[in-house]
Amino acid sequence: MIAGRGRQRIKPPRRGLHGGTDIDFEDTWGTIASAFREIHTKNASRLSYEELYRHAYKIVLKKKGDELYKRVSEFEHDWLRNEVRGSIQALFSPSLLANTQSLGGKTTNERRVAGEKFLKGLKQAWGDHQVCMSMLADVLMYMDRVYCQDQRVPSIYTAAMVLFRDDILNSPTSDDDGRVVLGLLNHVILNQIQMERDGEVIDKHLIKSCVYMLESLYDDEMEAEEQRLYTMSFEQAYLDTSRDFYRKEAEDQLRESDAGSYCRKARRRIYEEEERCKSTLLESTAPKIQKVVEDELIKSRIRELVDMDSGVRFMIDNDRLDELNLIFDLNARVDDKKAELTRALQKRIVDMGTDINDAAITASQAPAAAPASEAGDKGKAPVQEKSQNQQTVAAIKWVEDVLQLKDKFDTIWKVSFDEDQPLQTALTRSFADFINSTTFPRSSEYISLFIDENMKKGIKGKTETEVDLVLDKAIILLRYIQDKDLFERYYKKHLCRRLLMNKSISNDVEKHMISKMKIELGNNFTTKLESMFKDMTISEELTAGFKKHVAGLGEKDPKRIELAISVLTSMTWPLETMGSGDEEESKRQQCNFPPAIDRIKRGFEKFYNEKHSGRKLTWLAHMGSADLKATFPKVPQKDGTFKERRHDLNVPTYSMVILLLFNEVPAGTRLTFEEIQAETNIPHNDLVRNLQSLAVAPKTRILVKEPMTKDVKATDRFSFNEGFQGKTIKIKVGLVAAGNKVENDRERRETEKKNDDSRAFCIEAAVVRIMKQRKELSHQQLVIETLNQLVAQFKPEVPMIKKRIESLIEREYLERIEDTKVDSYRYLA
Amino acid sequence: MAETKISEYVTLVSNDGYEFKILRSAACVAGTIRKAMDPASGFKEAIESRMTFENLNGLVLEQVCLYLYYHQKHAEARDVPDPDVPQELLLELLMAAEYLQV
Repeated sequence: MIAGRGRQRIKPPRRGLHGGTDIDFEDTWGTIASAFREIHTKNASRLSYEELYRHAYKIVLKKKGDELYKRVSEFEHDWLRNEVRGSIQALFSPSLLANTQSLGGKTTNERRVAGEKFLKGLKQAWGDHQVCMSMLADVLMYMDRVYCQDQRVPSIYTAAMVLFRDDILNSPTSDDDGRVVLGLLNHVILNQIQMERDGEVIDKHLIKSCVYMLESLYDDEMEAEEQRLYTMSFEQAYLDTSRDFYRKEAEDQLRESDAGSYCRKARRRIYEEEERCKSTLLESTAPKIQKVVEDELIKSRIRELVDMDSGVRFMIDNDRLDELNLIFDLNARVDDKKAELTRALQKRIVDMGTDINDAAITASQAPAAAPASEAGDKGKAPVQEKSQNQQTVAAIKWVEDVLQLKDKFDTIWKVSFDEDQPLQTALTRSFADFINSTTFPRSSEYISLFIDENMKKGIKGKTETEVDLVLDKAIILLRYIQDKDLFERYYKKHLCRRLLMNKSISNDVEKHMISKMKIELGNNFTTKLESMFKDMTISEELTAGFKKHVAGLGEKDPKRIELAISVLTSMTWPLETMGSGDEEESKRQQCNFPPAIDRIKRGFEKFYNEKHSGRKLTWLAHMGSADLKATFPKVPQKDGTFKERRHDLNVPTYSMVILLLFNEVPAGTRLTFEEIQAETNIPHNDLVRNLQSLAVAPKTRILVKEPMTKDVKATDRFSFNEGFQGKTIKIKVGLVAAGNKVENDRERRETEKKNDDSRAFCIEAAVVRIMKQRKELSHQQLVIETLNQLVAQFKPEVPMIKKRIESLIEREYLERIEDTKVDSYRYLA
Repeated sequence: MAETKISEYVTLVSNDGYEFKILRSAACVAGTIRKAMDPASGFKEAIESRMTFENLNGLVLEQVCLYLYYHQKHAEARDVPDPDVPQELLLELLMAAEYLQV
């Protein structure tokens, strides 16, 4: 769209671009200066840019650039000094000036209004200056381009900004005052920010523009990045006052409120400062002020905060998950490791764990104190039984408490701690600490008991996933256990009972558990457990085989007794722990079976020896049970009927032997305890317990005891209870104290002793393995390596290792190397 | 200030009275015109969208306008053919370019 498209053929007269060539500098400058004044008073619309530009252009062309530059600078200098400064000074209200000295006196509102007025004025002046100068710079563009670049002087715009700094910001606030406007400006801004912190609404936008002004000005002519007026004069002052403010606030807050609200406040402050940097100040300040706030509110206070009455402990106890999250967040800000929080957490876990331990000990010891000391005394048996039940309950409760604690901290960890890895490690360590605490040696036993209880009862009617959950929990605890060999021992014992007595609800679950343990603890740990299962399977086959064998013999014996047998490998089954544990009974005498039983027993021995020669069968009657069909004669009943009653009795093998004894004697005969013992050769303790369950327990009182007391004495006499009446056809006679109980002290000592023995073998084996490989090794290294090897099983004590080494030297597996600085050993092949 | 009045075209006037109405975007290629037309500054030119050049005649200004369009047209192209400029105006155009900061 170009007007005048018609080609102009006529060549216009050639004139230079600059019409009347000689121009008068002073005249031109006069025009320009008056135009500038118009611009400054915002009357630019009347001016022609082209005209002004042309004037400036001409002056520069006339090589008067330097003169023009100087004139413009002077012009601006005068303008700022005379016009702008006056209007700024007019804004200083007395209250504003007074503020610099003291904060008191005026109300905040007055101060705020005065401050805002000042800021507004300054902002206005700055804004005007900027607009005018950019217009001037536009007009003087040619000068900037040609003169300033050639002479390497700052552009006129920059020069004018510097002038603003010198003439306005660095001018004294009043004639008789040493302070400069800049200082006042800083002070006012800080004051405003303080007001905002105190909850008042301030004009953020206004402050922001003032801050921008400070940002765009530099302290010196170099204009280096860090020399910005903002950084130089304002930021430091801001950080300092903030530091003071927050230090004081932290003190006040810690004194006045609880940890939770302190955290909330601290977090809000941090957020506020961040926002403030965005909305009011500069974002470049954000990290700096952040650090100040974090230092003052968190870093120097975190310890106090965590340890407060309402600190971490309170939060944990009261499930203040959000507050814990706050603390975590705050702590994480200042410390990657979150040391304080970790410390408090660990302490709390160990405390709570110790509480649980103590509770378990008191629960198990309070009633058990008396019988534990005289466990051998048969008179105390029922009491002991009761206390043992209590111990079992205590054990289960302990496990459940620990699991609950674990759940609690897991939730806290998940919800409040963002699943922080180091914290999890710390939690795990704390759990391991209290579970393995030396004051509480029972954790292995308790965990095994817990599994036992669940295998027997707990998992009944539960879905697979629920069962899985329970097992996993047990595994979790197992992970914390240090002395895994001790656990293995207990687990074996409990498993053994479950298998032999068919207490286990589901074999699948048992196997599942073992496979879980295998994953967790490795093959070594579970081989023996697995072989126990294998024994059970083989036994089933044997039983079936024997049945077939008997049938094959063609003996049509109406009184035939069916035999179900479990053949156990004595190495893998903790048989010794199955007995009542009396030392003197460790060589268990064989009990006299009634002839019918004895015959079938011999039959099986023969059958077994045919299959596997060279194996010795030891009958463990105390672990067996028998099903009897008992017929009770017609005797008058309470309801007046005469009826023969039949019951299927499931009794322990010994009870069966005792009952069969009464088959042999005429009805109504009384047998004394001693007679029974002589007749059956049942060990004393077992006999007591069997008689107790037959004659004392109210539901299964098949025998009548005289005198009718709870305890069984050597002189007591027993007779068949013809008037026995059971509610059901099938009656199970439980053996007193047959369940899996917590051990009493004596048993524990024994278990520990056995454990120590087996540990001794483990240590020796480890030492030999190491020495075989190394041939020569210093004592210290040997101990360390041994510890390393055994860490998966248990943590041996150093004196024990020493002892084992000595014993190996005695047996000439090792020898001491003479003439070495440190104790060293050599392996003797 | 003059935000609402920004027109798509600006008028350039030569010292001998020829008026060229060209696209604002094209005109603003020249630094001097851009500054003059800057609505933020509010000079007379910006308000009127009209700029008079006391030291450019119609012929030169026509060439200037041609060049401004030429520049805009080929702003992103490569290997552009050189603009066809009458020999006799070269010197004057050169001075105009300096003046207009093209």
